[in-house]
Amino acid sequence: MVGRIEQAFPGLRGTAYQVTSPQDDTYNCIAWAAGDTTDWWWPDEPNNPESAYWPPDVPRVETLEAFREAFANLGYVVCNDDQFEGGYEKVALFALAGEPKHVARQLPNGRWTSKLGPMEDVEHALHDLTRMVYGSVVLVMKRPLSAAEKGEVDRAP
Amino acid sequence: MSAVPSKQTPDMPSAETVEERFHRLEATWLAEVGYASSSTALRSHPAFQEIVGLGEAVVPLMLRDLEERPRLWVWALPRITGADPVPESDRGNIAKMSAAWLRWGREHGYRW
Repeated sequence: MVGRIEQAFPGLRGTAYQVTSPQDDTYNCIAWAAGDTTDWWWPDEPNNPESAYWPPDVPRVETLEAFREAFANLGYVVCNDDQFEGGYEKVALFALAGEPKHVARQLPNGRWTSKLGPMEDVEHALHDLTRMVYGSVVLVMKRPLSAAEKGEVDRAP
Repeated sequence: MSAVPSKQTPDMPSAETVEERFHRLEATWLAEVGYASSSTALRSHPAFQEIVGLGEAVVPLMLRDLEERPRLWVWALPRITGADPVPESDRGNIAKMSAAWLRWGREHGYRW
């Protein structure tokens, strides 16, 4: 499994990344970044037996703007950098040739978590996933953590 | 009547069964786009398209996989069967879609 992941993401080789879940087809990286582990998120054409979940009222088009809007609906705003800020949660959108490919979410420890398509979740340094599969980070957004979420962070080991 | 020799391609051994071919194509599919979140990329991949092209013979194989755990075969089954047993409200929920296809399979007499 590790060899397979590192073959796809050579930037992970020799780093302290961790596989944090088994393979799971039920959710993808967009869902995982959005805190949803029950749906596969993608702006497929609607009204089709194969349609994935996409937030209502957000255009179902594979553009950076549509992805920005999907996370704006969850309370995220565009920010300047991917550095950890206490009291906030950040998400980073990866794109290749202008096409959205991946979203990662920052953890309370400052590292990042990603669901790798229908495969595993991994904890990693943000830019270790860049290159041929997901491209590079093109947009970072953040939202303030709620009091309850901050409490969970405070209780985290 | 003499049999017409079939052409052999390097990637499809003549003795390969449908099940072996299904698993070989699945392995290719996951190796090449298995880290993609784009359902468009996953469904448009040639190996996925070839699996769909195997037709009804692979429906029990997909249902067997769905019995084990929810799988993305829920995107291939409508194309193969022309059926749509998933309520619109469950689209995107791979677990509920898998359950709906398993029910459909039982109702339509599939064994897996």
